Amino acid sequence: MANDSTNAGWTIFGYLIAGMICYGGLGWLIGHFTHIELLFPIGTLVGLGVGIFGVIYRYGRS
Amino acid sequence: MTADIVARAVDKCADETARHLHSGCGYPAPGYPKSFLYGPLFQIGSFTFNKPMLLALICSAIVIAFFWAAFAKPKLVPRGVQNLGELGVLFVRDEILRPMMGKRGDGFLPFLVALFFFIWIMNIMEVVPVAQFPANSEFAFPAALMLMVYGTYNYLGIKYQGFAGYFRNMIPSGVPAGILIILAPVEILQYIVVRPFTLAVRLFANMFAGHILLLVFTLATWYLLVVGIGLIWSATSFILTVVLTAFELLIQALQAYIFTILTAQYIGGALEPEH
Repeated sequence: MANDSTNAGWTIFGYLIAGMICYGGLGWLIGHFTHIELLFPIGTLVGLGVGIFGVIYRYGRS
Repeated sequence: MTADIVARAVDKCADETARHLHSGCGYPAPGYPKSFLYGPLFQIGSFTFNKPMLLALICSAIVIAFFWAAFAKPKLVPRGVQNLGELGVLFVRDEILRPMMGKRGDGFLPFLVALFFFIWIMNIMEVVPVAQFPANSEFAFPAALMLMVYGTYNYLGIKYQGFAGYFRNMIPSGVPAGILIILAPVEILQYIVVRPFTLAVRLFANMFAGHILLLVFTLATWYLLVVGIGLIWSATSFILTVVLTAFELLIQALQAYIFTILTAQYIGGALEPEH
């Protein structure tokens, strides 16, 4: 794409949100069935970490 | 007796224009739902037609009428309203479409022009007297626009890259398998859920906040209006109303621009995958 960096900000924001939704949701689902409620916040934090990792992986190495 | 007085006080406060500093009714703070819900203008069966719908129809009529007037009988040397129309179309082409999609996206120019001007006019209705309501601050309106964009770029992505290829191209290539398993769901979720959601919410939230911001100071101007030294508070609110109206005019154009430029980017990404 010619002008990818212009909208990199929105993509980065999207990474963080998507990470939290994805792994937070996974954590909530597992916690819901195993009755370990702590898995939801842990999953959300892990998701945030994965989101940051994704941003670094995509933009941080060039 | 007491009930009578209470009833009269409630009666007085029900009329918002009667609310003043010393009336004892309190500041009529704007908020959801009272500043955003409108009663039906008319009703057909269970379908109610209200002010935001009317505004949306008027705005689309304005956009259609403007471009009809500009390009119904195009002249080689543009004059009058055609000049203005060409300025608008060229702005969308050179500032939004070409940087995002290149020449091969030229077929989407009508879509983007319509989208940009419709959103812009809809937003401007926030500060137009009598209208004074941005229909985009009701979530259904940006959501409907978003669904149109969402449908378009998903359809184009599957058409140009194939169903499997479309999803494969969402994931960055050349990633080690271990990282891929962790990162793939995040990438796919971003395309399927986060992108359309943020596209609609960004427009909605900006218009919603803008409407409340203007209401706060407009109502305060009236509420604080007294004869005496306290008038400076009212005057301050009035000045802020004017300044914020100018600020909102900027936000309105900016939000229309951002919505359109992101649409162009998403459609461009569907035509040829990012690498």
